Amino acid sequence: MSLWFIAWSYLWNRKFTTFLTIFSVALAVGLISAVLTLRDETRKRFEEEAQAFDIVVGAKGSPLQMVLSSVYFMDQPTGNIDIAIYHDILEDPDDYIEAAYPINMGDSYRGFRIIGTLPELFNHTWTSRFDQEPRHPFIIDDGRFFNEDFEAVLGSLVAQQTGLKVGDKFISTHGFFEIPTELQEHDHSDMPYTVVGIMEASNSPFDRAIYSSLESVWLAHSHEHDHDHELEHEHHDHDHDHDHNHHDHDYDHDHDHDHELQNQNDDVYANPESEITAILVQLQSPGYRWQYKQYILENTIAMAAVPIEEINKLYNQFLSPVQTVLLAVGYLVVAISALSILIGLYLSILQRKRDLAIMRALGASSYEIFGAVLIEALWVTLLGIAGGWFIGNACTYVLSFYLAREYGLVITSFGLNQGELTAFATVAFMGMLAGILPAYQAYDCDVARDLSSLQ
Amino acid sequence: MVQLEACNRKLGPSVTFHCESFSVEPGEHVALWGPSGCGKSTMLNLISGLLRADSGKIVVDGIEIQDLKEGDLDRFRGERLGFIFQTFNLLAPFTALQNVMLGMRFSDTIPGRDWKSRATELLERVGLKHRLHSKPATMSVGEQQRIAIARALANKPKLIVADEPTGSLDPNNSEGVMNLLIEICQESKVTMLLVTHERSIAERLPRLFDCTSLIQEDLT
Repeated sequence: MSLWFIAWSYLWNRKFTTFLTIFSVALAVGLISAVLTLRDETRKRFEEEAQAFDIVVGAKGSPLQMVLSSVYFMDQPTGNIDIAIYHDILEDPDDYIEAAYPINMGDSYRGFRIIGTLPELFNHTWTSRFDQEPRHPFIIDDGRFFNEDFEAVLGSLVAQQTGLKVGDKFISTHGFFEIPTELQEHDHSDMPYTVVGIMEASNSPFDRAIYSSLESVWLAHSHEHDHDHELEHEHHDHDHDHDHNHHDHDYDHDHDHDHELQNQNDDVYANPESEITAILVQLQSPGYRWQYKQYILENTIAMAAVPIEEINKLYNQFLSPVQTVLLAVGYLVVAISALSILIGLYLSILQRKRDLAIMRALGASSYEIFGAVLIEALWVTLLGIAGGWFIGNACTYVLSFYLAREYGLVITSFGLNQGELTAFATVAFMGMLAGILPAYQAYDCDVARDLSSLQ
Repeated sequence: MVQLEACNRKLGPSVTFHCESFSVEPGEHVALWGPSGCGKSTMLNLISGLLRADSGKIVVDGIEIQDLKEGDLDRFRGERLGFIFQTFNLLAPFTALQNVMLGMRFSDTIPGRDWKSRATELLERVGLKHRLHSKPATMSVGEQQRIAIARALANKPKLIVADEPTGSLDPNNSEGVMNLLIEICQESKVTMLLVTHERSIAERLPRLFDCTSLIQEDLT
């Protein structure tokens, strides 16, 4: 029959109050735990993906926006650049570059971006600085990589969310958002993509993109452009000869479409004015990042950004203050909970003066009484911390589905990080502090008076 | 076993407890009798170390308790005394068995591995074998006082101090509890000091100490 058991028995004897106090501590700890886990895990995931490429080159604008759009497929691109810049980069007279991949974005399917790129991207690997393990996000789970235009390879999340399988066809939507068919300005129904491969889950933003050739995206857009032009032309001629024009358009489309695409395909890659959204660059060494960024700024009309720098800026300048506020709220709730522990125990000690006096009469020392009451505070705090850890991680677990769905960031919940350990130790200390006054009150009891006054 | 000499304790601005001389032999059963407020409970508290005397000498089981430090006094109570109170003073969160075990928890007299068997044995002795795991609130007052008796005996004390042990009981239960208490104390050869204001209860013990003149009031 330890002091822990005695303390627990008294807590159990007033279950409802104990539960409410534990719950208030748990809510506070849960908030802190969730904020810390989300902060650490998302930052880790962001930084992990930011290492995939040393430099991103794109149209001038916000570097963060460019990184978010090109590496995490989150924001709108800053604009387009000529493919000539990519060709220039490949020349690489100073031998900075290990690999460079052009990407083109413009269309999407059910909210998932279609990334036009070169097949070489699928060989891209890097080493994580967190665990020094190689990362290879592009591994085919089913089917194969694309060989032809309008062949598509789906990220694992895209396949999971859309239900598309190898061999299925889908029609892309212009832009990055899911738009009902009747509201779509551009109809790509005559240029469907065919799913030829589905990739293994890499737990990265790459899981939520659709990959096809650069040319596919160009062709869809040049076609869209031509189509718009034809429609405009048709509109002008409509009053004169509606049926004739419409028939001509259908004829061209049905019979010359494949041939036309092949010709365009050959032209666009070589045409220095063809546009791409960004270039993802892996350097020979991360140490070249700053030099190469300067090189791009000085020698091209494009902008270069280092993903890891932008992500650190995002966290330090914007997200950190928000997290600090949330943590402050969490600690405020902890302080209120500590106060409720203090009040609860204080009132309980007032009601239990007789019990404490009896224990003293039975031979308990004043230190044992002090310890028993302090242990009650510790029980409440520890259970609150355990409950809070569970609540916080359960929230993180639920949120992880949203983060994976929306941003491709797969975060780990039900872990314990350094920040949480520090926070839990702080909460335990505050709980103990809250127990000291009631414990002293119990320690200082006058046994004879308390026994006689209650006889 | 118990010896008080010229023992004084101030109870209020003009009220003082004074006992010139009192002693109890080992194994003796003594009733401290007197009306309410006469100082008999104060005397019991002084003997058990719950109150400290302002002057005089109190010796219990060969120990001068007025010189003991607080921690030693706690240990003294736990190892040598067994308490029985008018209102039973059982601890509500614990079962009958746990209440008796709690009597052993705060002293080193009985090894931890024997607490449960000894508590069970004592509760069987007071006729509560069937209520080992019941909580005090679910038991009758007579049963509660019997648990208190078992708890008082848990540490094999040298002295049982019982403060109005029948004060909250009806006549039937009072008779039963007194019989049990006397019987058990005789069996265990333990010394007993019993405080009561009821003459009939006091007269059941071999010796009666009249406490009517223990309180001195200074009316000047």
